[in-house]
Amino acid sequence: MLKLRVKVLLLLLVLLGSTTFGAAEPGGNGDGLRDMQCGGACHGDAGQNATSSLSLSIETPEQVWAGQPTQVTIVAAGVDVSHDEDLVGLFLLSSTNANGDTPLSNGWEILSDGKGGTGNYVERSTDGSGVSLQHTWILRTDTLGEQTLFASVHHGDATGSSQGRPFFGISEAFVINIEPVPEDLPRLHENFVPLSMREVGEATLVELQTKFTETVAIEWQTEDGAILDAPVNASGEQLWEFSLPATLKPSSLQWRATFTGQGPEQTTPWFTLAAQITPAEVDDRPIYIQGLAMGLLLFGAVVALQKPRTNPEAALKTFDQTAEIFTVQAAEPVAEPVAASLSDAPAPIPEEGLPSGWTEEQWAWYGHEYLAGTYGGGQ
Amino acid sequence: MVSANTFHVVATELVVGAYSLAGIAFLFCLLCPWLPTSIKEKRSAGDAVAHSALMFGIIATPFAIWSGLSSAPSGDMGSPLLANKMLLSMSGLGLALGTLVGRWRGGAAVWETRRSSIIQACSGAGATGLMLLTASAGGTFSRGESLLDWLHLPYNEVMLMPTYLSVVLLLLGLACTVVGFKPTD
Repeated sequence: MLKLRVKVLLLLLVLLGSTTFGAAEPGGNGDGLRDMQCGGACHGDAGQNATSSLSLSIETPEQVWAGQPTQVTIVAAGVDVSHDEDLVGLFLLSSTNANGDTPLSNGWEILSDGKGGTGNYVERSTDGSGVSLQHTWILRTDTLGEQTLFASVHHGDATGSSQGRPFFGISEAFVINIEPVPEDLPRLHENFVPLSMREVGEATLVELQTKFTETVAIEWQTEDGAILDAPVNASGEQLWEFSLPATLKPSSLQWRATFTGQGPEQTTPWFTLAAQITPAEVDDRPIYIQGLAMGLLLFGAVVALQKPRTNPEAALKTFDQTAEIFTVQAAEPVAEPVAASLSDAPAPIPEEGLPSGWTEEQWAWYGHEYLAGTYGGGQ
Repeated sequence: MVSANTFHVVATELVVGAYSLAGIAFLFCLLCPWLPTSIKEKRSAGDAVAHSALMFGIIATPFAIWSGLSSAPSGDMGSPLLANKMLLSMSGLGLALGTLVGRWRGGAAVWETRRSSIIQACSGAGATGLMLLTASAGGTFSRGESLLDWLHLPYNEVMLMPTYLSVVLLLLGLACTVVGFKPTD
């Protein structure tokens, strides 16, 4: 028994010893709005992170106006040099608190994550990216003065000695000076929010509201196409509209506007407009009914199959204590011969005759006990 | 405040842990007759562990299902993976409940005959299997990978029956339940 316990203990130790540290999730966690450590969801435990060898930097325009869309690009250099990253998660952060550190926490508004969303975290494949991976967000803030941004990265390693290990990296702080907008600068209205997602197969009419603008020119491009111009129509005072063509499959295109007026000419960042096929509305009821039916059927089947049987043999077996009696008899000393003779012939009648008041029949049944002195409890 | 996602992770970990323990204990009980006598004598312990763990898993399952529905990105069965998760978890829950009720009614006698012990162990282990498949589908949905990827299970295809057939199955299940609970003369 001891040997068995030792074997089981050894087996458990081997199993525990063979476990590896939690790996980065190779399938990714999806784009979104996430804090630096994403609550431990991307990597099993932040304490197990290794340091990424990627070199991170942030690029912004020289001048950033308050209330105007700004292009912020993260550049991750050294891709596929030290590690086989495969999939890289890029974070744009405003602090390194690991909690409440998205740009939204510091007064920024994310107008586009470059993939059709408005989060601060995107996942990018390193396939075909070369040694440098870039990703651009469009941000806007009304807060004047110096603002700090950080770039962070999460990735794994698909091959080599570090295979499966989670890697984490964060850049130094990049300071952006937010300046007040010159009064006569031709620009987008502060309330303009670009559309970031649309349906496949639908052309999009974009309405622009501007300030101090006399003319608007629109350029657009597909993911791998040339830059094309889109005709723009004035639809009112400082209101403009233009149309972007439909896509035939889920993909994205980018557009930007150039404004001219009294002040210096202004060009917006490239806004990304992704196209997707929204899944059709699903009626949940058939799924719930089928789930309930399958559950009840399996429940009923097991209950019916395991129904307690009441066949006479089983009942007899339940109450039959013969085996137990045999066991007890085997353990006890052999009974007195008187007991054995009880079932034999009637006891011989004493020479002085039957006891007073006894009949022969009574003697036949209880004579043995009378002779043994146990009749009537030995009285 | 705990989000539905976090609560779902906690609930599913409890469910998977409880069902896994129950599954191992059920397999032990099933294989007991062929094991050495010294181990065979531990079947009552295996029986207790299997059914206790199963009961704990059953209690945690509705929380996992509810939080899973709340944390789904679209809040409904927008993905075939989520539909499969619902079907698998409901089937596993039904099988587990049947197993537990069978043990409650039959007592330890369920292990006395070959037939009933096979049914008990297989239904318990089957419930475990269904719950592990549910967890695997969940892993595939949220992380893009699962421990059962090597099986190449078709999680993106839903075997959805017509509603009338579901209703027929529902009635059949109800009939089985009635027959199972009907006292014998």
